[in-house]
Amino acid sequence: MKRLVNFFLSLKLTVVLLSLSMVLIFAGTLAQVDQGIWTVMDQYFRCFLAEIDLHVFFPRSMNIPNLWIPFPGGFLIGWLLVINLITVHWASFKVQTNGGRRIAGLVFMGLGVIVTLGVILGWGVAPVAATDSDAFWRVFLRLGRGTLAAVVLYIACVLLYRKRAGMVLLHGGILFLLVGEFATALCAVEATMTIREGETVNFIDHSQKMELAFIETSHPDFDTTTVIPQRDLMKKGTTLHPAGLPFDIKIHRYMINSNRPQPKEGIPEHILARYPQYEGYGSRLYVAEQSEVSGIKGLRNAPSVDVELFDRTTGTSLGRYILSLWFYPNFVNRTWDMPTQITVDGKTYTTYFRFHREYLKSPSGNPFSVTLHDFVHEKYEGTQMPKDFASQIHLVNEGDNVDRELRIWMNNPLRYARRTFYQSGYLPDDSGTVLQVVRNDSWMIPYLSCMIVFVGMAAQFIQSLGRYIRRGV
Amino acid sequence: MRRSLINLLVIGFALWFFQSGVKPPMEAPSDFQLNAFGHLPVKFGGRKKPVDTFARNLLTVLSDKQTVRLDGEKVSAVQWLLDSICGRPAALDYPVFRIENLDVLSSLGLEERPRFRYTYRDLLPHLGTLDTAARSAFGKEDRQRDLYDKQIMKVANKIYLFQNVLSAFEDPSGIPEEQLIATAQRYMQLENYSIPLIIPPNSGNPRWRPLMSSLLATHPELEQMMGNHKIVADPLAQHMAAMLTAYREGDATRFNDELMDYGRRLQSDNPATFEKLSFEVFYNRLGAFMKSAQLYLIVFMLSLFGWLFRKERLVDAARTLMIFAFIPHTLAIVARVFLSGYPPVTNLYSSAIFIGWAAVGAGIVIELTFRKKAAGMGNLAGSIAGFLTLLVAHFLAGDGDTMEQMRAVLDTRFWLTTHVITITLGYMATFVAGIVAVFYIFAGVLTRRLDEETGENLYRMMYSTICFALLLSFVGTVLGGLWADDSWGRFWGWDPKENGALMIVIWNAILLHAKYGKSIARRGFALMSVGGGIVTAWSWFGVNQLSVGLHSYGFTQSASFWLMVFVLSQFAIIMLGLVPQRFWKSGRV
Repeated sequence: MKRLVNFFLSLKLTVVLLSLSMVLIFAGTLAQVDQGIWTVMDQYFRCFLAEIDLHVFFPRSMNIPNLWIPFPGGFLIGWLLVINLITVHWASFKVQTNGGRRIAGLVFMGLGVIVTLGVILGWGVAPVAATDSDAFWRVFLRLGRGTLAAVVLYIACVLLYRKRAGMVLLHGGILFLLVGEFATALCAVEATMTIREGETVNFIDHSQKMELAFIETSHPDFDTTTVIPQRDLMKKGTTLHPAGLPFDIKIHRYMINSNRPQPKEGIPEHILARYPQYEGYGSRLYVAEQSEVSGIKGLRNAPSVDVELFDRTTGTSLGRYILSLWFYPNFVNRTWDMPTQITVDGKTYTTYFRFHREYLKSPSGNPFSVTLHDFVHEKYEGTQMPKDFASQIHLVNEGDNVDRELRIWMNNPLRYARRTFYQSGYLPDDSGTVLQVVRNDSWMIPYLSCMIVFVGMAAQFIQSLGRYIRRGV
Repeated sequence: MRRSLINLLVIGFALWFFQSGVKPPMEAPSDFQLNAFGHLPVKFGGRKKPVDTFARNLLTVLSDKQTVRLDGEKVSAVQWLLDSICGRPAALDYPVFRIENLDVLSSLGLEERPRFRYTYRDLLPHLGTLDTAARSAFGKEDRQRDLYDKQIMKVANKIYLFQNVLSAFEDPSGIPEEQLIATAQRYMQLENYSIPLIIPPNSGNPRWRPLMSSLLATHPELEQMMGNHKIVADPLAQHMAAMLTAYREGDATRFNDELMDYGRRLQSDNPATFEKLSFEVFYNRLGAFMKSAQLYLIVFMLSLFGWLFRKERLVDAARTLMIFAFIPHTLAIVARVFLSGYPPVTNLYSSAIFIGWAAVGAGIVIELTFRKKAAGMGNLAGSIAGFLTLLVAHFLAGDGDTMEQMRAVLDTRFWLTTHVITITLGYMATFVAGIVAVFYIFAGVLTRRLDEETGENLYRMMYSTICFALLLSFVGTVLGGLWADDSWGRFWGWDPKENGALMIVIWNAILLHAKYGKSIARRGFALMSVGGGIVTAWSWFGVNQLSVGLHSYGFTQSASFWLMVFVLSQFAIIMLGLVPQRFWKSGRV
């Protein structure tokens, strides 16, 4: 036990861990030349054991064998650093005061924690927050809140730790940042929202999660939608028996990325020979698995799923289908809309392989919707260079009495219902907007820890520099 | 007494050095008033600028120089531009197209030349070949393009740009009727590209317009076609057209008259277009950055000598010179902020200028904080960093306007000011520590200058610089994350540029923890500080070579080469420092 404590007590361990993280980050950067950012994140940073591909360190023209090196992943290094940090501080930074000073220090510490919590939970912030002016004051205010918390905590540290106050505070800030990022890695959800001018939309598309949706429209009052989540679609070879559908679904293959649909006529014979006999779009279009897109170019993967339907009672095949995200209008910025129509027992099912759809709700549980009035795309005169993108929207939540005209533009998002709506893209001919919708409840932590570390570090360095210069004169 | 005399002399020298070349060459009233023409406004790349700037930038893109050298004589950019757009035959013979790739040259059937610069006449017979090769290169996906393709595209882009500029100044009044529709279509297409808009907004027309389209509206045939809808000719366009004709015909009097009329008319119609123009011409003429760079080099030489042989007076004089080269450097950055309306760092070019500026500033601060103990080390580190970064900036300027407009995503003054400046200061501090470390190693291994006291002082200098580097790079990196969070909802995305910045933070943290944990002493600290320079170079330039997302605001091919040279040289210095200390000339310190 003692040896374990001593192991974690060593600053050499800190140096080793930090060096390992350098290597990991470097490899993770190089890997993005040919891999998607999300894959790299899972393979290198958001894991306990990273798999570093050997070939990332060499020019891509060289023929490097496809080997990977096991390496401590981001989570592992992060947690070891956290333990190391806490142990070192526990052992060498003891509370240095007694009596009244100690009590005052503890009081300030408690106060600091309350202020920090208040900042995270957004006390005193308007429920619908969008800006019409520049980012300046908004961000300044947030950093100001962070500074307030940092100063209170610094006072507490001075009372408790005297000269080592800055050290303790800055490492506390780092710890806070690491924990916050860990929470973000686990909890943050990214989605998009595509709205044509004049259209009202009440759902978002989760960027990292797919689903297969069967929509049956025969009832005059409502549609019946059956959704199969991504985790079921990834079980290759299994047969699903979804309730509410008269057929079973066999998963032949789930493709992380697939090529843009091409007419089968243009595809060489030997490739077509291996192409399954599909019903629907697959009967005339060629869609097949393709390697992942590179994170560097900012492209997105287009997953597809290869399924076969079976009649539940007789067990006969109802045809094999390729269902691709390429057929989903919001993926192709509404360039086309290609639902696969499947008719079984006289009922027609409109089928989409699409982003996981979440209907918008405010924290009180009331649904809300967004209407796009106008999308503005300004360019610099005499160039094709974008100057400004802006969406003029109408936000309505009847249950919460929210009815607001708002503007979402570059660098100026809307914050509402614990989500943030950012201007992110647009539809062809500027006919509509694409908003990035992010939910991240720990988003204020970086603001706080930035200021905490800044205050701690600045205090420490100025203190020691001053000491040196005074001694030197 | 003697000291202040020397200082006065140094200041006088600096002032004389900066004023040279600012005054335009004398023009007799009967000559073409090229200087005045250079002051006219033009909008290109979304920014209003004087013709002088436009001509210089265009020439820089084509030939990497701001003047043309013709038979040993220097021709100003404005004159070259006028000759070209007026269609004077002489324009064909300016050697302005720089093509340095041998494969491209041989595929175009051109001979290799000492300065790699070719005239339009040289290129004319090969334009078809070039176009075909370029089309096939443009058609490929980026990954499939080889070096030849990229070079062909570069050359072709130069030619297309030049041709588009020529077209933008065409006078369509002589075009026969049957070609009118085709010409109109061609002009409409051209307006989708980046072309110079020379006709400012005026009472007749609210937008900036290129000359050829403004003139086309008044084509006699077109007027007939429009029948009753009489189009009012834009008087500014007509003056401009007359000016260009006069220039082509060599009629200086008429050129000057038309120029005066044009200027007077614009002055009364839309005086705001002249704002800032003469200041920008002055800024161009001053060329403060190149001059500061030259002075920094002198400072470096003087200080090196003074430091090695402990000549205090020399170090003092060098410090004064550095301060007086630093002042114009500062003012020129302020001028850029004033002219562009953006914070000081917006692209790779301005980051280089700013890092150089901050490094010199840091050198001055080191000199003033450590006083006698610095013994000129602040001069040395500051001046060499200032010189090298300004040199880098000079080579980066080849992309054209260095005060270009910002893409929508990046256009927020707040973040540009806070994040970008803090992070660049972090780069700067890491670099400065690295440079001091390089001196530590060189002085230790090669000279006897590194005694116990000097070693301790240099160590202190490196240590405090690294402390500030850590502080600045940490805050800068986190602010960058906050910008990302504020703009597109992702505090940390493991984007290559973010990773680069993070690596600097971690490297500095490793240094400090290794020091606190007593894993390294002075020499180790110096060696690792040199490593800090490598990490910074990777983050500043290397990451861009991966051609990446939003952050990759600068991509240049020769940059990869120089980056490799820098990294290898730094590794060599680390190796040198690893030589056991008993072999060091200064011995064990």
